[in-house]
Amino acid sequence: MDLRSRPVGALAGVVPALLLAAMAAGPAAAQDTIRIISHRQPALEYYTGKMAAALPEGRVTVELMPIDRELELASITMSSQSDAIDVLYLNDASFQRFAANGWLEPLDDLWEKYREEYDLDDFPQSVIDAVSYDGKIYAMPIQTNTELFFYRTDLLEEAGIEPPTTMEEYAAAAAQLHSARTAGTIMSLKPVDAALNEAHWYMNAIGDGWFDDAWKPIFNNAAGVEAITKLKEMTQYAPRGFTAHANDESTINLQQGLAAMGLQWFTRAAAMDNPEQSRVVGEMGWVAPPGGGARIANDGFAISRFSSNDRDEMFRMMAEAASKESMREGAQFAMPPRLSVLEDPALAEQFRWYTAAREAVESGQAFPAMPDFLDVGEIVTRHILRAVTGEAEVQAALDQAAAETESLLASRGYYN
Amino acid sequence: MVSWQRGLWLFFVPSFGLLAVVLLWPLGYAIYLSFFDYFLGTGTRTFIGLGNYIELLSEARLWRSMWTTIIIAFGSVALEFAVGFALALALYRLNSSAKVFSVLLFLPHIVTPVVAALFLKWMLAANWGLVDATLLTFDITPPDWLGDPLWAKVSVILADAWIFTPLIMMVLYAALQGLDASLIEAAQIDGASNWRILRHVIIPALIPAIIFTISVRLMDVFRFFDLIYVLTGGGPGTATETITMYTYQLGFRMLEVGKASALGVITLVIVAALLLSINRALNSIYRGGDR
Repeated sequence: MDLRSRPVGALAGVVPALLLAAMAAGPAAAQDTIRIISHRQPALEYYTGKMAAALPEGRVTVELMPIDRELELASITMSSQSDAIDVLYLNDASFQRFAANGWLEPLDDLWEKYREEYDLDDFPQSVIDAVSYDGKIYAMPIQTNTELFFYRTDLLEEAGIEPPTTMEEYAAAAAQLHSARTAGTIMSLKPVDAALNEAHWYMNAIGDGWFDDAWKPIFNNAAGVEAITKLKEMTQYAPRGFTAHANDESTINLQQGLAAMGLQWFTRAAAMDNPEQSRVVGEMGWVAPPGGGARIANDGFAISRFSSNDRDEMFRMMAEAASKESMREGAQFAMPPRLSVLEDPALAEQFRWYTAAREAVESGQAFPAMPDFLDVGEIVTRHILRAVTGEAEVQAALDQAAAETESLLASRGYYN
Repeated sequence: MVSWQRGLWLFFVPSFGLLAVVLLWPLGYAIYLSFFDYFLGTGTRTFIGLGNYIELLSEARLWRSMWTTIIIAFGSVALEFAVGFALALALYRLNSSAKVFSVLLFLPHIVTPVVAALFLKWMLAANWGLVDATLLTFDITPPDWLGDPLWAKVSVILADAWIFTPLIMMVLYAALQGLDASLIEAAQIDGASNWRILRHVIIPALIPAIIFTISVRLMDVFRFFDLIYVLTGGGPGTATETITMYTYQLGFRMLEVGKASALGVITLVIVAALLLSINRALNSIYRGGDR
């Protein structure tokens, strides 16, 4: 469907924005332009491109940036109720917070209106639930993302190692393959998002998770300490600079043959076979992360509640990007949440990593469903990094993190 | 005061008005917000008096970040002053090529700090960064510039020095131009060594300029943010988390506006007290003269 013939209904509005938000708005804040901000990764480059292509040229501006910057920009802008951002990418953790803060436009009426036209029932209920908050749909699902365990098939075969299925096997393989030239494993410990993902895996695979049923921290119990101690031990096999590494840096390390294996997102798998970027084309294999519990996420695009653009037009723009045709093409970059596309057997034949991805989705675990988990993540990753770099003992660092977390959640009304 | 002078106060109004808008109003508003429990996510404010101040002052994180700020600030300014002064003296000794060298040496300061920081970040990136790649070519394993707590501090200090040493160099070089050359000639005739000329002639003559550069740089470096934000983000852990980084984390990551405002006020008081003490010490040295 082409939306180019539809009229543009941009509304004029005077925004009482804070100075900082006004600065954040930048040059793209012209009223009749739909401004999309998103995390930068191959799948989102593709889907934001599809959104831009759904409307006349110049109608949409897209800004891609690292996830931390995007969330920061969105938080500043939307907390000041500025209309400088119209559509934004949100992952599951940030989505909860933005929805709870009342910064997102509920989409239920539009969902209903375009249910048939875009076959929105093709999204499974679990995915709809993941983009819903308090019974309302707030985002258009765009990708089911999961972390996979990447490994160099040639190096493992040479060393006679099977792809690891447990954390112990992973540690042993990393130790065996570690050399001055090739790190045993990538580790992405840049705060907040990357470090939180890595810690989430250890905390689920070895520890007991983050919270009990009453949202009291349990990550500092004996199992949690064991998990972070193991994480700290594994850093001896990581490339230098791992505390400043996020997904981009770890992807480069794998592509350039500077690391033998490690945890990385599904969305980075295709880049391993891109001959323009990778030195390991055809030499990368994928399995579900050893021990299970790595992060899975359902991400999507949401409309700002403060946008002064036509929400109908923006919804259709997002729906175009999330159409079956678009997602079939985008399946090379990200796991599509549409059932009709996901269940297509041709996918696994075409893209080698899909078999592992389906297993990873089953063994993976989403972040705790709380709006404030990113704030908790800020606290926890800071203290985990203190433990990893030797600023503090693991137990002391986690105890401090638990105390600060409890204080934060108490102030946000979790224990009332 | 003659009658025509009585209306001169009106000329003061525009500048005071501007100051009030861009400085006093935000400062007053920050002080006001610091008395509230104000989480931007919910948008509700609850008056808690000195609650934010008490909570912050009892936090180890505040004092850790203050200590980190002091280490980085004094480390940077000391290095910048030492190198900047040496370069200024070197330029002073040059005759014909001083202008060319001064322009070349000033280049790092012309680059926007964020751009310079991004440039340095990629230079210091592990394995494929320019510095690492060069050293690894010669089989030298470099330190983890941005990933090791100690080296991250050193990298931030070096980066700040790279950007701001030219400023100190130029100010001191300009001050040297005003130096009475006959004093140096007289000392040389009296048989004074270069070191004694530097110690007893040049430095005393430059003390006003030295006080100015050190004071300005200290004020600047205590609130510097962009360089650390881009280079290390305050990490690893809290190794390079300065007081401004902590304020930023509270305000823009956690959206705890009340607490961030209180931290801003605390920082203002502590830094103002610290700088006043330093200025007083430098001034007393100046007034003490060359004893």
